Amino acid sequence: MTKTAEKVLLKGNHAIAKAAINAGCQCYFGYPITPQNEIGEYLSVEMPNRGRVFLQAESEIAAINMLLGAAATGTRAMTSSSSLAIALMQEGISYIAADNIPAVVVSVMRAGPALGYIFPSQGDYFQTVKGGGNGDYKVLTLAPSNVQEMIDYTYKAFHLAHKYRTIVFLLADGLLGQMMEPAVLYDYPYEDIDNSSWALDGAKDRPGRWIGSIHRSEEVLERKVLELFAKYDVIKQNEVEYETMLTDDAEILITAFGSVARIAKAAIKKAREAGIKAGLFRPISLWPFPTEELNKMARGKKIVLDIEMNMGQMVEDVKIAVNGEAKVEFFGRPAGFYFTPDEIFEEIKKVMEGLK
Amino acid sequence: METLVFQKPKSIHKDCKVTFCPGCDHGVAIRIIAEVLDEMNIADKTIVVSSIGCSVFLNDYYNLDIVEAPHGRAMAVATGVKRAKPDKLVFTYQGDGDFASIGLGESMHAISRGEKVTAICINNTNYGMTGGQMAPTTILGQKTTTTVNGRDAEVQGYPIKICEMASTCEGAAFVARCSLDSSKEIENTKRMIRKAFESQLAGQGASVIEILSTCPTNWKLSPQESHERIRKELYPVFPLGIYKEKTSKQV
Repeated sequence: MTKTAEKVLLKGNHAIAKAAINAGCQCYFGYPITPQNEIGEYLSVEMPNRGRVFLQAESEIAAINMLLGAAATGTRAMTSSSSLAIALMQEGISYIAADNIPAVVVSVMRAGPALGYIFPSQGDYFQTVKGGGNGDYKVLTLAPSNVQEMIDYTYKAFHLAHKYRTIVFLLADGLLGQMMEPAVLYDYPYEDIDNSSWALDGAKDRPGRWIGSIHRSEEVLERKVLELFAKYDVIKQNEVEYETMLTDDAEILITAFGSVARIAKAAIKKAREAGIKAGLFRPISLWPFPTEELNKMARGKKIVLDIEMNMGQMVEDVKIAVNGEAKVEFFGRPAGFYFTPDEIFEEIKKVMEGLK
Repeated sequence: METLVFQKPKSIHKDCKVTFCPGCDHGVAIRIIAEVLDEMNIADKTIVVSSIGCSVFLNDYYNLDIVEAPHGRAMAVATGVKRAKPDKLVFTYQGDGDFASIGLGESMHAISRGEKVTAICINNTNYGMTGGQMAPTTILGQKTTTTVNGRDAEVQGYPIKICEMASTCEGAAFVARCSLDSSKEIENTKRMIRKAFESQLAGQGASVIEILSTCPTNWKLSPQESHERIRKELYPVFPLGIYKEKTSKQV
């Protein structure tokens, strides 16, 4: 791992694409949609240069199913898309989860509902974490908050996808995808994971293998779902990830993810300068959600203020986690209005005034 | 005197019991595909993409590597498999509803891209598994559970002709329609499947084998009457034959 490499100025979407190449992604399937087009455009040049596959699918429905096919062969593969187009992929996402096969989906959120527009948004927390596909399954979801983390968590997404043979989402937004800032593009830090025990490569000197989700007996189907959730329990034990800032003495605990968490950090510094004891709890793994960790952190706090670029989605998981340890309030805006540090600072002041 | 025993192809599980309705052609299609794989000695480099409908039961029969595609998406899944593993033989096994209704977009685009995969499409002119509803291939006048007075062009439009449509794609290398209504036609279908696989392995492009097949349960006909229907009613609408055959020079 050469993390000592020098910083280079990178656009968020390009950082994801470059990290995918370093992570050994062999196949990319995608369909154009703003604000994530730079990923596909970059890979359309760089994947063939390396003898790898870039394929522009005829639709997002085709793209997710091409990903399913490549994933069934154990090949490192990904797609990327946004919001309304991720909506089209939901059936395939449910299949990939049920099939226990590894796949990475990059979701660069834009403002909805429906066509909305290309503005940044966090309106697809529910879509990702609660799942838009059918049945009982979970999507391991990682939420970066700057360009460096686009690299870090793209790497981690590939690693976890293959470690657990599961679908992993990198959940970013248009702000993160389009911004440029310095980041270090170091080598992929994880070991290769052997997939020879399950991947499809032709039944040579072994019985045929079947990857699928149909089970025509209640007993077998139930057992398969329970096995899936046993795997999810292991993921919950091992892969919860979060970040905190100035929480020890905090009276007001801000919860935020992704780009909003980063803006909240600037607001918290302002609040501290103004004598308000504010701190940050930032979930990085949105599923598994850091429920117990947030519960502990909320104890003794006067208030938890959840801030999102939507009408209140993660706040439901925050409330479940806080579980009455503190009052939970929500501050959010839809439609692509990302906050300034001053706006969040003003809200922190207002909420603290309200407690008096 | 030597006793000859009718054997299952190697690519079919030894303990497999075929569970299709009496007189259904699916079992014959699945068997002759396995025979071709055995005869070409390519079973161990084959990855099958199964689909949704009665075709899904293929999962139970083949001792091969198989991935299940969501309804209609078999050709997209096959694209992903083949792009990831270009040295494998990849074929889909789909019904006409899967291939030409919900999956028409995926089918036509994969064929147009010249994906080096083979689609084997069982055309029985209705949705068999769900109880005999109208399919994209239901012929005019045919009664189904959703066209109780017969398919009317004014209301439900016209049947889709898979081979005619597929053969318009430049990426198509081999396109043929065949039938299983007699031992002669079964032998011919086997030859067509072999040609399609050979075309794929030669890297010529996409191949499509449409097989006119019976659905006696939903057609409410005996197995014999069902094959008679294929000859009398389906042949005129869906003529058998090779619709496209790229020679290696054209590749």
